[in-house]
Amino acid sequence: MADAMLLNAVLYLPVAAIVGIVALPADRDELVRRLSLAAMILQLLATVWLYARFDATVPGLQFETRLPWIASWGVSYQIGLDGYDVLLVLLTAFLGPLVVVGAFTAITRDVKLFYALIFALQFAMLGTFLAQDLFLFYLFWETMLIPLFLIIGIWGGERRIYATLKFVLYTAFGSIVMLAAVIYLVYSLNATTGITSFAFEDLYRARLPIDVQTLLLAAFALSFAIKVPIVPLHTWLPDAHVEAPTAGSVVLAGVLLKMGTYGFMKLAFPLFPDAARLLAPVFGTLAVVSIIYGACLALVQTDIKKIIAYSSISHLGYVMLGLVSLDLIGIQGAIVQMVSHGLVAGGLFLMVGMIYERCHTRELSAYGGLAKLLPIYSVFFALLTLAAIGLPTTSGFTGEFLVLLGAFRAAWPQYLQGAAYPLVTSSAAVAGVVLGALYMLWFAQRFLFGAGKAPHQPLLDLGFREKAILVTIVAAVFALGLFPDEPMSKTELAARHYQQLVARAATPPLAADDPHGPSLARQASRSTQ
Amino acid sequence: MNWFAIALAMLPEHILLAGIVVLTALALRKRPSASLAPAIIAVVVAAIAAALQSTMGFAYEPFPGHFSVDASALAAKSIVLALTVPVLLMARSEAKQSAFPILVLSSLYGVCLLFSADSFLTLFLGLEIMSLPVYALVLLAFRRPESAEGALKYLVLSGTATATLLMGVALLYGRSGALAISAFADALAASDALGSAAVVLIVAAFFLKAAVVPFHAWAPDAYESAAVPVTAYMATIVKAGVLLAAVRLFGVASVPRPMAELLAVLPLASIVWGNLAAMRQQSFRRMMAYSSIAHAGYLFYAFLGAGPGRFQAVAFYVLSYGLANLLAFASLPTGDDDPERDKLDNLRGLYHRQPFAALMIALAMLSLAGIPPLPGFVAKFLVFKNVIAAGFTLYGVLGLVASYLGIYFYLRVIQAMFMTTEAPAREPGPLEPLAESASLLCLAAVIALSVFPGWVIDQLVGRLG
Repeated sequence: MADAMLLNAVLYLPVAAIVGIVALPADRDELVRRLSLAAMILQLLATVWLYARFDATVPGLQFETRLPWIASWGVSYQIGLDGYDVLLVLLTAFLGPLVVVGAFTAITRDVKLFYALIFALQFAMLGTFLAQDLFLFYLFWETMLIPLFLIIGIWGGERRIYATLKFVLYTAFGSIVMLAAVIYLVYSLNATTGITSFAFEDLYRARLPIDVQTLLLAAFALSFAIKVPIVPLHTWLPDAHVEAPTAGSVVLAGVLLKMGTYGFMKLAFPLFPDAARLLAPVFGTLAVVSIIYGACLALVQTDIKKIIAYSSISHLGYVMLGLVSLDLIGIQGAIVQMVSHGLVAGGLFLMVGMIYERCHTRELSAYGGLAKLLPIYSVFFALLTLAAIGLPTTSGFTGEFLVLLGAFRAAWPQYLQGAAYPLVTSSAAVAGVVLGALYMLWFAQRFLFGAGKAPHQPLLDLGFREKAILVTIVAAVFALGLFPDEPMSKTELAARHYQQLVARAATPPLAADDPHGPSLARQASRSTQ
Repeated sequence: MNWFAIALAMLPEHILLAGIVVLTALALRKRPSASLAPAIIAVVVAAIAAALQSTMGFAYEPFPGHFSVDASALAAKSIVLALTVPVLLMARSEAKQSAFPILVLSSLYGVCLLFSADSFLTLFLGLEIMSLPVYALVLLAFRRPESAEGALKYLVLSGTATATLLMGVALLYGRSGALAISAFADALAASDALGSAAVVLIVAAFFLKAAVVPFHAWAPDAYESAAVPVTAYMATIVKAGVLLAAVRLFGVASVPRPMAELLAVLPLASIVWGNLAAMRQQSFRRMMAYSSIAHAGYLFYAFLGAGPGRFQAVAFYVLSYGLANLLAFASLPTGDDDPERDKLDNLRGLYHRQPFAALMIALAMLSLAGIPPLPGFVAKFLVFKNVIAAGFTLYGVLGLVASYLGIYFYLRVIQAMFMTTEAPAREPGPLEPLAESASLLCLAAVIALSVFPGWVIDQLVGRLG
C-alpha cells in the first residue's frame, strides 16, 4: 500500500516540480537548475527503492492503484508495474538527472520553460509506462508529443520548425489511427462480452474475428511503428534528432523510442494474438530491414548526430526481432536491448552535445584525432562505441546476443517443419551485427584517431560535471552487461506472460458471437459431406 | 395556476430580465461605466440558479406544449450562462457602450428559451431573440466599415436560415397538424416525402445557424468584423445555443439511414474544409471562424450516436470547446487598432513578452486540437465513441482522420508564439486585469474538466427534450 502511494508520488513529482519552477521568479535560472536536479534525483531514489521492492516471484502487477475515473465509460485510473514496466521506469528515472545536468550549460535562454517542459515530458513518459488502462495510456501517449514539440522547436537548430512539425505530424497521424482502433476495440469488447472497460487485463479477454484483429493490429502497429521507428516510417527521426537540443535527443533516443516497442509488447501483439502470429513474418522482415537499412544509412552519414540516429533505428530492429520471435530468451533479450539502447544512445547523444558545445559543428569531417586533443573524452567515447557495437561485458552484447539466440531458437524448429523464412531473417540479422561494428568503428576511427583536428582548438577536456554524467552511464552499461541476471529475473514472469498472451487463440468460437459464424460453419460442414 | 411554480420554472430567464431592466435604467441615466457589474451579477446569479435547480432535479411544465424545464434543460442553461461570464469580463472597452451588456443579456434570454422549447413557436422565438441582438453586437464595432458588411452578411444569411426553418415547420404542420417539436422526431422516423422534405429544410436551417459547410460562408466575415468579445460570444454561446436546441429537437430518436448520410457527410465536409481553410488564414479571428466551422462538424457528428447519449456528448463538447475558445479570446493581447490586434503575425514571439497570455492561448489551441489531457480530447472521444458504437464506423474513422488535419494550424499558432524571438512591427498591449481574470477563470475550469471529466459527464445525464 505504502509502495503504491510511493509509485503515485513518483508519477506526480514532475507535476509538483513544474509548479515549483513556475512559481520561482523569472531571473533565478541557477535556482531552477538546482531545483530540477533535486527533483530528478529524488525521483530516481524513489524509483530505485521501488525497483528493489519489486518482487520477481509474483506474477502480474505490483504497487497497483485502481480508482474509478470516468466511471460511466469504464475508464479507471489504474497504474502499476509489471516486470518490464519496472525496468523501463527505472531507465526513465535514471536518464532524468543526466538530462537535467547535461543541459546546465547548453540551455541558457528560457531556462524556466525548458525545465518545466522536461518535467512535463518526464510525467507523460512515466505515465505511459505506468498506465494499465488503455484510455489512460492513450492520454499519456499523446501528451508526450507537446513538450518535445516545444523543446525541439524552441531550442533546436537551424531547421527546427520543419523538424519538429514533421515529428508531431508523423506521430499524431499514427495516434489518430490508433484512437479509432481503441474506440472500436472497446466497443466490440462491450458488444461481445458485455464488459465496459479500458483496463488492459479486461481487453486481453476480447475475442475478435481474425479480419477485425488484423485491421486493429494494423492501426495500433502503425502508431507504434512510427514511434519505434520501423523502416519505412522512420524519416522523421533523423531530422528530429539532428535539430533537437542535446536534452531532446537524449530523451528521444533514451526513452521515447522505447514507447513504440513497449506498445507492441504491451498492447499490439497481446491484444490481437492471432493476427500477430499471422503477421509475424511481416514484422520480422520489417525488423530485419530496419536493422540492415539503418546500419547502411549510418555508414554513409557525415553528420555525427545522424550516425547515432540511424544506429538507433538499427538497434531497435533487434528489439522488434526479439518480440516477434516469441521465444522467452528473445523476449527478455528485447527488454534488455531496450534498456541498453536507452543508456548507450543516450550517452552518445550527451557526448555529441558536449563536443558541439565546444566546437559548434556536427560535421564529422571537421574532427579528427580527438584522442590526442581530448583524451578523457575519447576514452568515454570509445567505451560507449564498444557498447553500441555489442562487445561482450557491455549491455549491448547482452541484448543483441539474447535476441539473436532467441530468434534462432524459435526459427530452428520451424525450419525443421519446413518453414525456412524465419531462419533467413534471423541469419540476415546477424549481418546487421557486422555492419554495426563496421559503421561504429569507422566513425570512431575518423572521430578519435588520425591527425588531430577540430574547430576552435585548443579544446578543454571534460569538466567534473561531464565526467560525472559519463561515469554514471558507463557504470550502468557495464552493470547491465556483467550482471544481467538481476534485471532479467524481474522481467522473466512478465516475459512469460507476454509469451502466453501472444500464443493464445482469441478468435471467437464460431457458433456463439459471430452472426456469420454459424452459417459459414454449416456451409463448411455441408460441403464436406 | 401555480404562479410560484411558473416563476420558479423560469427563474434564470427572470433573473436575466431583471438584469436587462436594471441595465436599461442605468443606460437611461447615462451611467454606462457601471454597466458591466450588474450584467455579470445577473448572469452569475442566473447560472447558479439554473445549476442548483438542475442538481435538485427540478422539472415543471409551466406552459404545457410550449415551454417546460427539466434537469437537462437547466444544465444546458447553466452551461451557456456560465460561459457568458468570461465574455463579459473581457469586454471592458466594448461595455463602454451601454447597449453591449443589454444586447448580450437579451440574446442569452433567447438561448434560455430555446432549451425549454416544446413547440416550434417557442423554438422560433428563442432562435430570433438569440440572433437579433447578435447582428447589433457585430455592428457595435462600427468604427470599421467591415463590421457593417459582416453584420449584413450575418443578417441576410441568418434570415435565410429562419425562412428555411419556417418553411420546414410549415410542411411539418401540414403533415401532422401539430406545432409540437415532437413532430420533427416523428417525421424523422417516417420516410414520406413531405416529412423528409421538412426534416431536410429544418436541418439545413440549423446547419446554416451553426455554420456547417456548405452553409458556412457568413461565419469568417462575421467573426472577423466583430469586436473580439462579440466574436467569442458568437463562437461559443450562439453555437452552443443552436446545437443544444438541435439536441432538444431531435430528442432521443435515432437517425435512420438516408438522413444519417446527410448528418454525416456535411459535417464531415465541414471538418475537412474548416481545418484546411484555417491553415491559410492570417487573421486570428478568421482562423477561429474556420476552426468553429470544423467544430460544428464534430458537434453534428454527435447526432449520429444513439439518442440518449446525445445530450451528454453535445453538452460536454460545447462546454470544453467553449472554454477553450474563451480562454484564447480572453488572452488575446490588447491593442487600440482592432484589425492589427487580430493579425496572427502579431502573435510572433509573444511568449517572450507576455508569457502568461502565450501559455493560455497555447493551452486553448491544444485543447481545440484535441490533444490530451485537455478537455477537448475527452469531448472528441465521447463524440466518436458514440458514433462508432452506433455502427457508423467508417464515418467515425473518417472524422478522426479529418480531425488530424486540424492539428497543424493550431500548432502553427503555438509555433509563432514560442519559436520565434523577433518582435512584431506593432507591439500589442498587455492584458487588462479583467480579461486576465477571465483567462484565469477559464483556466481553472479547463483544469477541473481535465482532472474530473468523469464527474462532469455524470452530471450531464438525461436528454434535452
